Amino acid sequence: MKLVSPFSPFATLAVAGVLCGCASSGVKTPSGVPVTQMRPDEQGFVAGTGVESQDLVVVTDKMWRSILGIPQIANAQGAPRVVLDPVENATRFPINKDIFLARIRAELNTKAHGKVIFLARERMATLEHERQMKQSGQVTATADPNVVEFKGADFFLTGKLSGLTTRTSAGTSDYILYAFQLIDARTSDIVWEDSAEIKKQGLEDAAYR
Amino acid sequence: MKWVCWMIAGAVSLTAVSCATKPPEPAVVLTGNIMVDGPNATEHGPPRDKVLWEYRTAAAAMRQGKFDLAKRFLDDALTTLQAVYGPDSNARKSRGYFHAEAKKTFIGEPYERSMAYIYRGVLYWMEGELDNARACFRSAEVEDSDTANHAYAGDWVLPDYLDGLVTTKLGGAGSDALKRAQAGAKFVKLPPYNPKANVLIFLEFGPGPTKYATGQYSEELRFHVSPSVVTSAEFQVDGKEFPVAPTDDVWFQASTRGGRVMDHILANKAVFKTATDVAGNVALIGGGAALMSGGGRDATANEVGLGLLAAGVISKLFSAATTPEADVRSWDNLPRYLSFASLALSPGRHTVTVQFHDGVGQVLSNFTKTVTVDVPADGQDKVIFVSDQSLTPQTI
Repeated sequence: MKLVSPFSPFATLAVAGVLCGCASSGVKTPSGVPVTQMRPDEQGFVAGTGVESQDLVVVTDKMWRSILGIPQIANAQGAPRVVLDPVENATRFPINKDIFLARIRAELNTKAHGKVIFLARERMATLEHERQMKQSGQVTATADPNVVEFKGADFFLTGKLSGLTTRTSAGTSDYILYAFQLIDARTSDIVWEDSAEIKKQGLEDAAYR
Repeated sequence: MKWVCWMIAGAVSLTAVSCATKPPEPAVVLTGNIMVDGPNATEHGPPRDKVLWEYRTAAAAMRQGKFDLAKRFLDDALTTLQAVYGPDSNARKSRGYFHAEAKKTFIGEPYERSMAYIYRGVLYWMEGELDNARACFRSAEVEDSDTANHAYAGDWVLPDYLDGLVTTKLGGAGSDALKRAQAGAKFVKLPPYNPKANVLIFLEFGPGPTKYATGQYSEELRFHVSPSVVTSAEFQVDGKEFPVAPTDDVWFQASTRGGRVMDHILANKAVFKTATDVAGNVALIGGGAALMSGGGRDATANEVGLGLLAAGVISKLFSAATTPEADVRSWDNLPRYLSFASLALSPGRHTVTVQFHDGVGQVLSNFTKTVTVDVPADGQDKVIFVSDQSLTPQTI
């Protein structure tokens, strides 16, 4: 009886093929990934445990809806004036924190139909300059520029982002509490407060551990 | 013997095919000037090294007072660092037997990641964004929190100290962070916060740690540091002298992380490399012996002998293709020591002179730096960053 070698040519070729294939450094997506348009409220294929667009949308949507329902806004005689006071970031993620208030303001301006008016305090330098030019006659004015018409705030809208982090060999866990307040400018009463919580966990590839 | 020819032809063609799918490695000609090489390598070099070059360039830019450039590179690097979770094809490959660890996208070891956050925190403070600066200091501690020995987890001193200082300046209670920093301080007694301090001086000096590999196949990652000529500093302003001792030793942070998961993977790769090499040797010897015993007349012995030879070659190929080498890419322009001082200065122009001292307290005059600062009247902090490698004089 003829012995059959365990190293037949085709088996050997197959093993060699696997070897060569494994050793190659061909890339998974050599043509790249085309630009993918995504909704800001969905998690993309690039994600971390920090603050992301879907968190921003969820949190700010909850906040502007909540603000619209409070009596100080819903039943106000005339539209209350609101000034944005910068959010404090007490998380471990450096972020553009102004974006939270910017979206709440934009949503309220769009959806509240004039029930609340925001004052452009961050533009005061430009506004003052324009007023000075009107006062000096450099540009025309439709009203007496010497009369102060800049409005004072009825409320301040502000917030604070606080975080808790755990990092172990099992991964990283980040919890963020997004708390926002509407403060009465005259009395310092906190007339409204609401919050949202988001917790994320992730584990990096073992190559990074 | 026909199938042996087939095998050789097949191996050649497979090699050719695998090479055809291999993208050309971007070549970057290095000049030795980090401010030229860094942006060039970031733009045109291998994508896996992009963060490494961004780290290096940012550190160099900080020392040249090009803080906007440092900010840009650090922001991009930290964006990559913060999205490292989950499957990553390059990282997965680097765990495979036939891909080197250095094939993975570089984000650095924890001490390097922490330093990226610390630098970015300093830059945020310069811009008056204290809460974002604090966020960076907190992330610096988090990056260091998964150590093998928990005594060394999150044990950077300066980030904790600055976390508490920011919190105090923002009207909160920074005492917990101060206590953590004071408990961890080995080289210096940290003073309580001075809420009136409006000038913050960040100091760094000495050459930082770099990586090298040991082991039969260079599979064991190690850290090296050259002795630092500079061991302490002193700054003078308005006729007063303020000695400064190091708060953190970056080499200590690098060397106290402990074993990595990747170290086990590399050890397994090394075992596999050795085993396939030995098996290949055994098969080649066995195959040769079988052929010799057949004397060319016993067809069965010849076939078994050739089969063993082929298996031996394949096993040797496996061994040769196995890459257990540790990734020794290093952020090689880090400092050895970090330090910090804060003081209250009146608004207006001041000249700060920073002198660096050697181990016996002698001034190393060739390292002396002069920084002219305009302290603002609006109460905003003035942040000064000085390295023993900084350009001098600077005006900020």
